[in-house]
Amino acid sequence: MAVTPDVTDASARLEDLIDTAHRIRNSIESVIEGKSDVVRLTITVLLAEGHLLIEDVPGVGKTMLAKALARSIDCPVKRVQFTPDLLPSDITGVSAYNQQTREFEFKPGPVFANIVVGDEINRASPKTQSALLECMEEHQVTVDGVTYALESPFMVIATQNPIEMEGTYPLPEAQRDRFTAKIAMGYPEPAAELEMLDVHGASQPLDKMEAVATTTEVAALIQAVRAVYVSQPVKRYAVDLVSATRHSPDLRLGASPRATLHLVRSARAHAALSGRDYVIPDDLQDLAVPVLAHRLLPSLEAQGQRRHPEQLVGELVRRVPVPDAK
Amino acid sequence: MKLPVAAGLATAAVTITLYPLFEGGTWFWSCLGAILVTTVAGAVASHLGARPWVAPAVTPVAVLLYLTLVFTPDEAWLRIIPTKDSLAGLAELIGSGFDDIQRYAAPVPDNAGIMLLTTAGVALIALLVDVLAVRLRRAALAGLPLLALFTVPAAVITEPIGWIAFVVAAFGYVGLLVADGRERLSRWGRAVVVRRSAGSARGAAPDTERLALSGKRIGVTAIALAVLVPAVLPALSPDPLFGFGVGNGLGGGGGNIGIPDAIAKLGGQLRQQRNATVLTYTSSDNVPRYLRIYSLDIFDGTKWTLAPLRGRPEDRVSEGPLPPAPGLRPGVSVKRAEMRVTMSDEIDKLNFLPLPYPARQVDADGDWRADRSSLMVFSTDDEAAGLDYRVVTEEPDPTVTELRTAVTLPESDRYLQLPDGIDPRVAALARRVTADAATPYEAAVALQEWFTRNGRFTYDVRASGSGAQALSRFLLRDRTGYCEQFAGAMAVMARLLNIPARVSIGYTGGTKIGDEWTVRTHDAHAWPELFFDGIGWLRFEPTPAGAAGQGTAQVPLYSLPVTPTDGPTANPSDGPSANEEDDGDQSAGPARPNPRQLDRDLDGTAIAADPGTPVPVKIGIGAAAALALLLLPAAARLAMRRRRLRRITRTATGGHAAWAELRDMLTDLGMAGEPSETPRALGRRIGERYALGPQAAESLTRVVTSEERLRYAPTPSASGPAPADLHRIRRDLASKASRWRRLGAVFAPMSVLLRVRAAGEGALDVFDRLEGLRPRLWRARPDGTRTVTPERPGDARAGAGDLDRERTLTGSRR
Repeated sequence: MAVTPDVTDASARLEDLIDTAHRIRNSIESVIEGKSDVVRLTITVLLAEGHLLIEDVPGVGKTMLAKALARSIDCPVKRVQFTPDLLPSDITGVSAYNQQTREFEFKPGPVFANIVVGDEINRASPKTQSALLECMEEHQVTVDGVTYALESPFMVIATQNPIEMEGTYPLPEAQRDRFTAKIAMGYPEPAAELEMLDVHGASQPLDKMEAVATTTEVAALIQAVRAVYVSQPVKRYAVDLVSATRHSPDLRLGASPRATLHLVRSARAHAALSGRDYVIPDDLQDLAVPVLAHRLLPSLEAQGQRRHPEQLVGELVRRVPVPDAK
Repeated sequence: MKLPVAAGLATAAVTITLYPLFEGGTWFWSCLGAILVTTVAGAVASHLGARPWVAPAVTPVAVLLYLTLVFTPDEAWLRIIPTKDSLAGLAELIGSGFDDIQRYAAPVPDNAGIMLLTTAGVALIALLVDVLAVRLRRAALAGLPLLALFTVPAAVITEPIGWIAFVVAAFGYVGLLVADGRERLSRWGRAVVVRRSAGSARGAAPDTERLALSGKRIGVTAIALAVLVPAVLPALSPDPLFGFGVGNGLGGGGGNIGIPDAIAKLGGQLRQQRNATVLTYTSSDNVPRYLRIYSLDIFDGTKWTLAPLRGRPEDRVSEGPLPPAPGLRPGVSVKRAEMRVTMSDEIDKLNFLPLPYPARQVDADGDWRADRSSLMVFSTDDEAAGLDYRVVTEEPDPTVTELRTAVTLPESDRYLQLPDGIDPRVAALARRVTADAATPYEAAVALQEWFTRNGRFTYDVRASGSGAQALSRFLLRDRTGYCEQFAGAMAVMARLLNIPARVSIGYTGGTKIGDEWTVRTHDAHAWPELFFDGIGWLRFEPTPAGAAGQGTAQVPLYSLPVTPTDGPTANPSDGPSANEEDDGDQSAGPARPNPRQLDRDLDGTAIAADPGTPVPVKIGIGAAAALALLLLPAAARLAMRRRRLRRITRTATGGHAAWAELRDMLTDLGMAGEPSETPRALGRRIGERYALGPQAAESLTRVVTSEERLRYAPTPSASGPAPADLHRIRRDLASKASRWRRLGAVFAPMSVLLRVRAAGEGALDVFDRLEGLRPRLWRARPDGTRTVTPERPGDARAGAGDLDRERTLTGSRR
């Protein structure tokens, strides 16, 4: 087969990508032990220009993961601690009256950064959470009728405790739908936990972290991911998977078309991270649960049977046939 | 509540098919009443919440009340409560009903006795159907009692049931099944928790309407196919479906009866598909008589034929009485009877008159002449079709003594002539069978006994009767045949024993319908006549009668063996068995078997063989055909593999062929995965679980990667798989599978069988498309109808459920 320049270019870019991604990954894994899947998914979401929701019980390293990713990339990082009394303007920014210029002046909020870490997002009221809606989807903020563009790349990494925990509000569906993926950290393996004791026991490893990639590099990687080829059968498979959630009798709310978009985007990133310049159904299968599950509402029966959306999506993935060539 | 009604309707529908058995329609209303009572009793019982066993217990009581009300109201208290008298009346009616059924052939008059029996029988079926379908919820099983009812007319009458009756009966059963399915589904529905969300309510309320529709469509299509396909296909006569292949006479299936030469005309008649009426007659003493057409007196070693007939002008039947019966001495008492015969218009050319033997006088229009020696009546230019004629017969009515003392002085030598080359074993057999017989008459009786009882013969109309070896084969080996063989063989054996004998061809006495006796093509028959000096020619009946033989054949009373003690007191007469049936066999004595139930042992040497093709050859051909059929999937699989292996190397997308072959290979070996398995996942699974060798694993990766790239990548992989890769994988995988799996993969490849099944399901999809037709039409109507059933499950899939989908998207869950 003749090797075209395009292919060389693409593969060269892919190699770069893998290299950079590996660096970020290693950097994060130096502080989060034994969670390579989680780390990989985090990077996938970053490259898919998405937002990440990390949900788990307190103390398993959610914030650590968010901060580690932020630290690994040399870019402005803002952190918002969501509290019950947080107001929308505390996030987006506020127009303040400047005595000297006698004009209202916009004071940018914490969303004006490349990476925004929203800690314990479900401790704020839904009203405050909604402030994130516009920035997450449209990468812009409108305050007092003026629209301000956000940085690019822009990624929100939010952590939350499971909603059964005290003092939490459920995230509105619209908000959840804007997160590309939701992951659970899970408890570390005993060996990883042992190692963690050694590493974290003496000092704060986050302090020692240095940025391993620049914003430009990350932006280039995102560009490369956008070029990953998605064949027609794979697109159809994505649509099939998502529409299966809409027709499942176990779900009373299925996934949105936005979910389809997120699924394919993150599949591109997933493929790229595997060094492939095309998406295969396996990518979609790997990502279906983290990308789709948090958007779904199980039916009352399914709830009664304690079947979680993650489980239901897994069943759907096993049921929907993989499209073949035609 | 619908199910009991459906059960009742099904029984009523099948009851309709009994129509050919009866004259008149009163019986049907009486049966309908019984079904109604059964259904209502069951429904009331379940409505009152009684336990499931109450209904079957209460229903018989209700039926008894109903029968009392209908049949014996005068003896009953308040016309409905059974009393001792009314029960006795019912019992009496049942007895007379059984008698009537014995006496009459279908269609029977619907008198009280028969109607009571029918009504009670139908009520029993209705009860069984109700218990099975409604109480036990086994609607499909309820088809068994219905089938039993349905087979009654098929078993009793030989004419096919009309297709309309079949359709009605089939609809009854299908309706029952549909009602059952609906009720089942509607019960599921009730258990489902009511949902709050409109969008996700799909599946909550089962739509039995659609299900029933689908069931009905399948049922209608199946019934239509059952009716139309046999009618349309030239090779399939509709008879096997509706005629039930009843052919217990000479004309069974309208096949060739093999009676040669002169009888070919008769054969022509018999070839009619239908069991057509040949003639009807009334007789002055209301006794059926065999009607003879031909008398065959020459045996040439292979077949019986006629001597040339002599019909002189002075022997015209219009000239006066027929010539006297040969051999009948004036002293012997005779039984005189007069018969009026009406020939059907539709019979083929026939120049002989069917007459009882011996006929004394015949009044028929046309130039009919009698043959002096045989008393056959024939015409050279007139035909029997449509003819009405009167005949007077004077049957010899010999006493036992007369029979015993009768000698067999031949009227002429020709009734003893036999060709050379008759198997000597036949003569030895004849002597052995009649070893105990002291007189010619006893020898004749012994012969008949041997044919009908002791010889273990099997009646089979398919046997072919011609050929030089036919006689010895029939007597010594097969012992399978029909009247032609039986009659011919007995006549030959009689001649071997020096008893003059000839073979008569004609009809049995037929069946009584109303006041008339009806003779049909299936009553065509052949029987031997033996000559006793002083008495003349006497008919014998070696052919088995009844269901397992010639249906309406009757053994003459004089030919039955008589025990010495009651011999002299018995009053032998050749009055056929109609008398006997009326008298309930009293005159026959205990030792005398009922001639209609000749108990024939079938477990002995009788071999139901077809002398056409030897059995081993037939078995061989059948086995070879079966083997070929069994090997068909294997051959298909092999051909497919060849084609794919060729494609791998020849075409650019050979990877697909390799992949398809790999998938089928795994399916055959029972290693197939789920449809959601990606090529990569499949490769991983196979590689890990079956621990392939390094080379095979490499081949597997090549096949998988090639397929994956072909499907999903912008450019296919540089090097595709080779046929050798597949061979390698196959070898490695086969070594991991059990021996049975390997054999199965070769001889019964699942991949092919699944494809066949998929093709079948594809055919069934036609029904789905039919199914979609109605909702589409229905939606096209103005909005008003839409509100009737707002949530239709499954519509969203059909692409028309945009409304539902929209609801889902906007998340309207409250």
